[in-house]
Amino acid sequence: MLSVIAKQLKSHPALIPLFVFIGGGAAMSIAYLSRLALRNPDVSWDRKNNPEPWNNMKPDQQYKLFTVNMDYSKLKKEGPDF
Amino acid sequence: MSGQSISQHPLRVDTKERILPEPTEDTSRNLPRLAAVSLNVRLKLIKMADTVETKIQNYRTAPFDARFPNTNQTRNCYQNYLDFHRCTKALSAKDQDVAPCDWYQRVYKSLCPTSWVGRWDDQIEGGSFAGKI
Repeated sequence: MLSVIAKQLKSHPALIPLFVFIGGGAAMSIAYLSRLALRNPDVSWDRKNNPEPWNNMKPDQQYKLFTVNMDYSKLKKEGPDF
Repeated sequence: MSGQSISQHPLRVDTKERILPEPTEDTSRNLPRLAAVSLNVRLKLIKMADTVETKIQNYRTAPFDARFPNTNQTRNCYQNYLDFHRCTKALSAKDQDVAPCDWYQRVYKSLCPTSWVGRWDDQIEGGSFAGKI
């Protein structure tokens, strides 16, 4: 199948930007989904050893990609230890 | 997603619920309780209790929690509810003063719909609460 695509690209080189943009979009989607699956503190893969992964975050740790009007450096742990 | 059976998932609620803000400031609760505790225990915990006591006295609303940065604060509510019960259980098992746990109670009372809190309290009394305490 790749040889068919390569042959078509050689005869119609204007299709190359199509592949670039579609491929880039697919790569970005897969990258964001895998970031959510692996890094999101709401996701717990190992219920026995790591049942509440959001509790492993530090109080000033930022998970979101973009934050507006939020100074994470000033945050402290609020509740008492037990 | 965190080990709860389907029927007790915090998202399974009546959609007519609204989260009401905490209207009152009951700041006089903690002082008599601390005064009743023996002196040795007070000296041991005085540093932690003082800072938490001032925080509870100056409490306005639930502060920002970096673990739950998005709009959906369901897990924040549930986590504070669990933390309150875990804190009371741990501190009373160690025979320490339970007053610092009131911070968690204030936060979950600010965040959680009262029907959820009532339902979970009934489940705890009946022994059918799904969370790990």
